[in-house]
Amino acid sequence: MADPGLRSNLRIAAALIRRAGNEILRVPGAAIPGVLAPTIFFLGLTAVFGNLTHLRGFDTDTYQNFIIPVSLLQGAGFTGAATGVNLARDIEQGWFDRLLVSPAPRPVLLAGLVFSASLRSLVPATFLLSIGFAIGVHWPGLLGLLVTVLLMMGMGTLAACWGTVVALKFRTQSAAPLMQALTLLAVLTTTAYAPLALLTGWLHDVALYNPVTKILEAARQGFVGTVTWGDTWPGLLALAGLLTLLVLLALRGMRRTAY
Amino acid sequence: MGERLLTNARVVAALGARSVKQTFRRPQLFAPILVFPSLLLAIQVGGAGRAVDLSGFPQVHGFLDFMLAGAMIQATLLAGNSGGIALAVDIEMGFTDRLLAAPISRYAIVLGRLAGTAALGAVTALWFIAVGLIFGAHIEGGVAGATLIVLLVMLSAVAFGGIGAAVALRTGSASVVQGLFPLVFVILFLSSAFFPANLMLEPAASVADYNPLSFIVEGIRDLVVSSLSMTAFLKAIASIAGIGAISVGLSALALRRRLRTGG
Amino acid sequence: MAAIEARGLERTFPGGVIAVAGVDLEVNDEEIYAFLGPNGAGKTTMVRMLTTLLRPTGGSARVAGHDVVSEAADVRRSIGVALQEAALDPLMTGRELLQLQATLHGIQRGQAEELARDLLARVGLTRAADRRVGTYSGGMRRRLDLASALVHEPRVLFLDEPTTGLDPVSRKAIWEEVSKLNAEGTTVFLTTQYLEEADRLADRVGIIDDGRLVAEGTPDQLKAEIGRPHLEVRLMEGEFDEAERVVARFGRPMPARDGAVLVELEHGASAVAPVVRALDEAGLSVESLDLVEPTLDDVFVAKTGYHLEGQDEVEPVQEPE
Repeated sequence: MADPGLRSNLRIAAALIRRAGNEILRVPGAAIPGVLAPTIFFLGLTAVFGNLTHLRGFDTDTYQNFIIPVSLLQGAGFTGAATGVNLARDIEQGWFDRLLVSPAPRPVLLAGLVFSASLRSLVPATFLLSIGFAIGVHWPGLLGLLVTVLLMMGMGTLAACWGTVVALKFRTQSAAPLMQALTLLAVLTTTAYAPLALLTGWLHDVALYNPVTKILEAARQGFVGTVTWGDTWPGLLALAGLLTLLVLLALRGMRRTAY
Repeated sequence: MGERLLTNARVVAALGARSVKQTFRRPQLFAPILVFPSLLLAIQVGGAGRAVDLSGFPQVHGFLDFMLAGAMIQATLLAGNSGGIALAVDIEMGFTDRLLAAPISRYAIVLGRLAGTAALGAVTALWFIAVGLIFGAHIEGGVAGATLIVLLVMLSAVAFGGIGAAVALRTGSASVVQGLFPLVFVILFLSSAFFPANLMLEPAASVADYNPLSFIVEGIRDLVVSSLSMTAFLKAIASIAGIGAISVGLSALALRRRLRTGG
Repeated sequence: MAAIEARGLERTFPGGVIAVAGVDLEVNDEEIYAFLGPNGAGKTTMVRMLTTLLRPTGGSARVAGHDVVSEAADVRRSIGVALQEAALDPLMTGRELLQLQATLHGIQRGQAEELARDLLARVGLTRAADRRVGTYSGGMRRRLDLASALVHEPRVLFLDEPTTGLDPVSRKAIWEEVSKLNAEGTTVFLTTQYLEEADRLADRVGIIDDGRLVAEGTPDQLKAEIGRPHLEVRLMEGEFDEAERVVARFGRPMPARDGAVLVELEHGASAVAPVVRALDEAGLSVESLDLVEPTLDDVFVAKTGYHLEGQDEVEPVQEPE
């Protein structure tokens, strides 16, 4: 009866991704805050800080080009954090036990959870990019867009792994602010508001060493200039490194919760 | 008559204390009020701090001095939203019905919630004053200025809290009130909370010029970056009074409707 | 090979709370074993350890021939579980849930669809199959939960308080289904706080109190340990003392209660007819005659000092010599 192996594991992951999609497809209006928020922040921050580009050291004269990748990463981060909140809810309500008591391998359960976040992050991103291009954001080229989307989906996966770690540790939705806060911090303690040379105080030092800075810079390049391998590989490397760390943490969390 | 007033005052105080305790016991309510605005303040000061070099930027001791007022108002708006969410949860769980069945004034129920929000406003004002001072800000208005800042923030909290309460009473749904969260940021971005209106991009700059929230922020900011200006202070008070009249009025109407229709 | 074996199974939680304090038990193949105890006795903790959701802190256990710690994946392949909270996704339909369950067990799509259809019919949910679970009643959710535990035809079925909170009709439906499953060869381990459920369904009952197994046996064996059935005779007219002398010939007299003469019948229920005849021959008119069997509650009280349902402390009952 059973069909073990890769095909079965892929089917399990796909089924869990489909289930995660129900949150936005079957709850009317549930998707709206998550879809709108990154765009609201993008438009708001552009309107508020738009004239920062007059400072010497800005490598673009249009703030919206500078800030749109930040909003994309933020949106992916919130989607990932929401995955953690949903997992905490599933743990509180006993649904997660149903998955744990099945023979599905733990890494496959984790994969289903976190990859659903990376796919769902495409929803707010599509809306944001549509609005962005409509108001004149620079077209990054197909390659630039692909690099940005890949890094953004990677960010969603990272945030989902972090959300999973927190959910498995605390097993309660009350831990939601911890999931959201760290995701927000990770994206904003970078060159989010201004280039590195224009950052002041502690933020300059943190942004210098924050690996998410590399991810952001790689995602930004098409919007503010041209895409080069030299500016892309550090972002990919940073993403790969963070993913490795957080996936290992999440797997460890799974093993501790349910061996 | 005097005794009834005293009883109602005690009820308002008790319900206010409960709402403050509730907030500090649940991270989901507490974090948006202090943690997130503090993080954002730190990041915005570090990220956009060089804005003080822009031509046309007001004379300030530092960008932190400029940003403190916006952070306080952001926190207060979120406190108002949190209060609305908590009231909606009370309605959903039937606690409000229990209060309505008690021999207390109906309006004490809403006023209690608003009293709690005002107390939270005071906490946020004191918190950001302390944070500002620790990280090098100057309160040019001195102790008197700081006292007036706390007063303005507390009154703002009541005004904003009325909006959250009105939505909670009208809908009885915590998730609807929660949905107002992004709206808070829309209103903030369309004001001079985070940047001088004259240096914002259009059309946000024009909206900010007339946004009552800008007057409130400017009134508080004034006490931080310079000594008290009656004009700015009175504009802030008038804006708070205007928003408060509408929001508290809407709360009262929503409460009456709820009592009349039972839902 | 026993379907379930536990040797000194223990679970201590952080803070020193001992939820299960060294339980030994064995459940035979194709048996229905009921774990009876009040809230907080350790029933759910036992189930969670046996179903690999919780790691024991001492002792060992084997389910379907596999160790619950070192062969956890094999255990999961052999068991079906319906936990205390019928944890179902309210946004999914009943059919989708069963298909997901089948996928989790490695069952291919076509087969999963067929299984879902058959199981929905079996538990009487065909008409509600494509409705969201959030619209289901409590009884429907339990039936769906049970169906999802059966998707892969498990060898051992764990049911944690399967009928708590259900109305009598739904409860009866679950009992019938459990009996049917057992008749088809499934071993059932169920926890319950309902005496009638244990009495009616179980081949054997284990009584757990404060993390310890305090008694174990078939319902009849456990009741027999406590005592034999007794007769309560109320007279319409006639001598009370004469009646006491008559019934004393058939067993051990017990203290009178509420105007009734009580006797513990030496030969059980078969002595009722002779007692009636003897009373009649003595010219005594009987108003009412009740045969009172020991109940599992009596057993519970004897072993723990309190009633299971109501959980009031009582004086320990003296067991007959």
